[in-house]
Amino acid sequence: MAHAFRRREDGSLACRLDGEEKAIIAQVAQETADLIRADLGIEADAGVLRRAADSEDPLRRLEAEFAGRDAREPSDSAVKRLFPAASEDTELAAEYRRLGQQHLAEGKLADLRRVMAVLDAAGPDHSEVVLDEEDALVVLRALNDVRIVLADRLDLQRDGDFDTVRMLQQIGERVEGAAVEDDEHVSADIVIAVYELLSWLQESLLRALD
Amino acid sequence: MAVEVPRVDPATGSRTDPSAAAGTDLQADGPWCTVVWNDPVNLMSYVVFVFRRYFGYSRVVAEQLMMQVHEEGRAIVSRGSRERVETDVQAMHSFGLRATLERAGQD
Repeated sequence: MAHAFRRREDGSLACRLDGEEKAIIAQVAQETADLIRADLGIEADAGVLRRAADSEDPLRRLEAEFAGRDAREPSDSAVKRLFPAASEDTELAAEYRRLGQQHLAEGKLADLRRVMAVLDAAGPDHSEVVLDEEDALVVLRALNDVRIVLADRLDLQRDGDFDTVRMLQQIGERVEGAAVEDDEHVSADIVIAVYELLSWLQESLLRALD
Repeated sequence: MAVEVPRVDPATGSRTDPSAAAGTDLQADGPWCTVVWNDPVNLMSYVVFVFRRYFGYSRVVAEQLMMQVHEEGRAIVSRGSRERVETDVQAMHSFGLRATLERAGQD
């Protein structure tokens, strides 16, 4: 059972999470990172590109140069939301994407990696998760990015949509009673539960920082 | 003083800008602005946090801007040179806020 973030006397921020909660948060962070990399065509191992750039083979060097420069337009709806067009002017938006998307993606991937590392360091059992001020900022951003992906999967488009999803879920539970749930239904319930956990955790961290 | 002529929307060719007069005091700060758009995911407290933390706005100003985003669908959160505004938009995207850059006086 999770306990909200609070500020400790030494200034650090601490919450308590059980093993399952940590595992789920680490998993959705990993899935978000995988999704970003797959959709934008970013090498999981940046070293591959660096080695190609140092290659003796001029063709490989050229490839590496283009791979680094290329900013692929996102195609997944959640990745589109994470890397939105910076202007209604398509030409300006494309130029902006070319210049900034790679850097933005690297920042988001670094945030997600840091969250996984912090959770991993906290161990597999029910434990305290402690953040310094800098990590708190990283965690806020990463939790937000994961929530954006989950919200996209729940098709939240307008203010209040989550309340509707939640209400429909509760009505569904009541109507179905003890009926066996299909797989799709179960996974939507899990997404809703994880979204709620992350929203609560993010809010609690904001309150502790205030 | 330069007058910012509102741009005609290429989609309709007929859009005029009723608030063009508001553009007059933007001139001092530069011709571009950062616009943040509403979305159903970002917590209100998070948006306020980002405005305070990144722009250094007071709580009151940050809350007003957040409410404007929430109620009107968008708010101008900074103004300046194109380079400056590009940096601000990139920062908003790093926080997961939906932001665009615009020429001042466009809206």
